[in-house]
Amino acid sequence: MKNKTLKILALGMSIVMTMGLTACGATAPSTDQTDTSTGKASSAAKNDKVSIVLATNWGEGDAKYDYFYPEFEKFKESVADTIDITLETYTTEDYKTKIKTQTASGSLPDVFTYWGGGMMADMCDAGLLLNVDDYFKDSQTVKREDFEPGSFEFYVAGDGNTYGIPIESTRGILMANSELFKKYNLEYPKTYDDLLACAKVFNENGIIPMSMGSNGGSPSEFFFSELYNQYAGAEEELEALPAGGAFNTANAVKVGEVIQDMKNHQIFPEDTVTNGGYGPCLQLYTDQKAAMTYTYPWMFESIPENIQEMSDVIPMPQMPDSTVDSSTIETGFTVYGCLINKASYEDPAKHDAMVKVCDFIASDELNSSLVKSGMIPCKNVEVPYKDQKLIMQKTLDYSEGKDLVQVHYTKLPSASAISEMESGLDELFINAITPQEYVDKVQESITK
Amino acid sequence: MKSRRTAFTIFVFLFPVFIIYTLFMIIPLIQTFVYSFTQWNGVTETTFTGISNYVKLLQDKDYWTTFMNTLKLVGLSAVIQIPVGLLVAYLLYCKVKGMKIFRTIFFLPVVIAPVAIGLMFSLFYNSEIGLFNKILAAIGLGALQNNWLSNVKTLLYAVMAPQIWQYIGLYITIFLGALQSVPEEIIEGAEIDGANKLQILHRIIIPEIRNFIVISLILSVTGSLKSFDHSWIMTKGGPGVRSAYLGVYMYKTSFVNSDFGKGSTITVTIVLLSLLFTILLNIINNKYSD
Repeated sequence: MKNKTLKILALGMSIVMTMGLTACGATAPSTDQTDTSTGKASSAAKNDKVSIVLATNWGEGDAKYDYFYPEFEKFKESVADTIDITLETYTTEDYKTKIKTQTASGSLPDVFTYWGGGMMADMCDAGLLLNVDDYFKDSQTVKREDFEPGSFEFYVAGDGNTYGIPIESTRGILMANSELFKKYNLEYPKTYDDLLACAKVFNENGIIPMSMGSNGGSPSEFFFSELYNQYAGAEEELEALPAGGAFNTANAVKVGEVIQDMKNHQIFPEDTVTNGGYGPCLQLYTDQKAAMTYTYPWMFESIPENIQEMSDVIPMPQMPDSTVDSSTIETGFTVYGCLINKASYEDPAKHDAMVKVCDFIASDELNSSLVKSGMIPCKNVEVPYKDQKLIMQKTLDYSEGKDLVQVHYTKLPSASAISEMESGLDELFINAITPQEYVDKVQESITK
Repeated sequence: MKSRRTAFTIFVFLFPVFIIYTLFMIIPLIQTFVYSFTQWNGVTETTFTGISNYVKLLQDKDYWTTFMNTLKLVGLSAVIQIPVGLLVAYLLYCKVKGMKIFRTIFFLPVVIAPVAIGLMFSLFYNSEIGLFNKILAAIGLGALQNNWLSNVKTLLYAVMAPQIWQYIGLYITIFLGALQSVPEEIIEGAEIDGANKLQILHRIIIPEIRNFIVISLILSVTGSLKSFDHSWIMTKGGPGVRSAYLGVYMYKTSFVNSDFGKGSTITVTIVLLSLLFTILLNIINNKYSD
C-alpha cells in the first residue's frame, strides 16, 4: 500500500514537472516590464490581431518614460482592434544585453529603439535590419525629408544603406554654477591656465572644480571627444574612423595627457569611479559640491529648477596646444533611433501593423512629447521655445551658430572598440595606464 | 520482481530531475564546449576555429588578470569566511543568550540581493559622500582614508570585501547546524577530563564536523569561481578588468564585445577550475578521513 502511494506520488510529480517544462518552453516574453493588455477586446477578436513586439529602454526610471508611456498608451488604444502590442522595456545596460542575446537567439523584437554605428554593425552585416527607405516608401505619414538630413549618418552602414530612423540628437554642454563662481569672485575659465587657477580656489574651499568621472566610460567618453575636437585635424580623424581610420593619433595621446593632468591638478573628484556615470556626476553638481559639470540633455530631467536658474552653459576652456577655438564648436550628434526587424517587416501578415508602429515612433506627437524630457529631436517638429526646460533654453541659445562636431562613440566601427574605449578611459582616469597605453589598447581592439 | 519495482520507483523519482538537469545544465554545457571551438559574434554564422580560442586565451593578459583576481577571491574567501564562520558559530554554540536572534542577524546579509549590497558598498566607499572615509576619520584613522574604488592598490580588495562579508552568515548557519549534531556526551566527557573550550574545538569538534567544513569549502570556492554581481554592480569589472573575475570577463566578452566563442572558452575554464578545486578538496578530505 505504501509503495503504491509512493509510486502514485512520484508519477504525479513527474507529470507536473514535465508539464512545467512544457510551459517553460512556450513562447513568452521575459521582461522586467511587459504590457500586453488590449483594452476590452474579446479573446475571439484577439486571435485576428497582429502581434507586434516593441522594445525600448524608455522604461520606468528613464527620463523619457513619463513622456513616452502616455503617448504609447494612447496609440495602443487607437489600434487595439487590429494590433496586439507587447511593450518590452529594460534599463539601458540591460537593454543592450537583451538585444544582443535576442539577436543571438534569433528572436529580435519587431521594432526597437537602439544605437547606430558600431552598435548595430553586426546586425546590419547579418541582414537582420530593414533599410528604412523601404519603410519611408510605405508610410503615408512619415517621410525621410521630415528629418534633419545629417541625422541619418549614425544609421548608415558600410553598404551605404540606412538602417535606422533617427530619433534623438544631442549636444554636449559644460554647465557652470554662476553663484559659486560669484561667491569666490571667479570668472568662467577661458583657457587651461584659467581653469587651473579656478580649480585652486575651489579646492581650497572644498568645492570640486568640475564634476567629471569615468564609470564604464560615462560620461568620460564624450568628454574625451569634446576635448579631442579642439585639436587640429581631429574632425578629419573622426570622420575616417568608421572606414578603418586610426584611433591612436597624436591628438588622442595629447587629450589623454591633458585628462591626466586635470586629474593630477584635482580638477575632477578624487574618486572618479564611484563619481562616474551620468547620475553621480550630475549629482555632485546639483548638490552644489561641484562648480562645473559636463553633461547631456538626457540628464536635464534630473536638474532641479533652482540649479537650472543658477547654471550657465559655457564654452569648454581652451586646452593646451589646441588650435580650434572651443567657443565655436560643440559636440552634436544623433545618438538614438529606431531599428526595424527586416523579417517581421517583410512578413505580409505583419507588414501593415509594423508600418503603423513605426509611424507612431516617428510621429510628431511622440517626438514633441519626448522633447519635454530634454530630447533634441532629429525630426523637424515645432516645439515652442517657452515650453522647454530652462536649461534646455540655455542650451539652445548657446548652440546658436556653433559648428557641430562628432564623437568617437558614433564613429568607432564595432561594439568591442566602443567597449574598449569606455573601459580604458576608466583606467586612464585613475592613472592606471598611460595615455599611450590607452590609445594603443583601443587601436588594438579596432585592428582585431 | 521487487528489484524491478524499486528500479521503476527510482526511475520515476529521478526522471523529472534528470530532464531538468539535462535540459538546463548538461546540454548548455555541451553546447558551450562546442562553441568554445568556434568564432561566433552571436549574429553571423559560426566558424569552426579549432583550439585557437584556447591559444588566444592563454596569451590574453586580461584573462590572466581576471584569473588571478578570481584565485585571490577564492583564497581570501576560504581563509576568511570559513574560519570566521566557524568561530562565530562556536561562540554562539557555547550557550550564548539569544542565539537564535544572533543567528538571524548574521544570516540576514545572505538573503539580501548582491546587487543591493554592491550598490550600498559603492555609496559607502564614495570619497565625496560615502560613510567609510568619514568613519575612519571619526575614529582617528583618518590616515587610512582612501579612494577605495579609484586606487589601483585597493580597488580589487574593496570589491571583494562586500562579497566575503555577505556570505559569512551562510557558513555560520551551516556550522551552527553541524555543531548541534555533535553528540553532547563526547563534549561533556572531554570537559570532565579537563579539556578547555579551545581544546574541545580543536580536538573534538573540528574532526567531528570535517565533512561540513569540506562542503563549506566547496561552496565557498565554487561560489567565488562564479562571482559576478558585486564586481559588475560596483565597477563593471573595471577600470579595465582590474576588479573583474572570470565570470565578469566571460560576460563582458560574450555580451558586451559579442565574442561568444571566446566567452564560451572562458566558461569552459571556469568549469574546469571548479572541478579541479572540488576534486582537490575531496582528495584532501579523504586523506585526513583515513
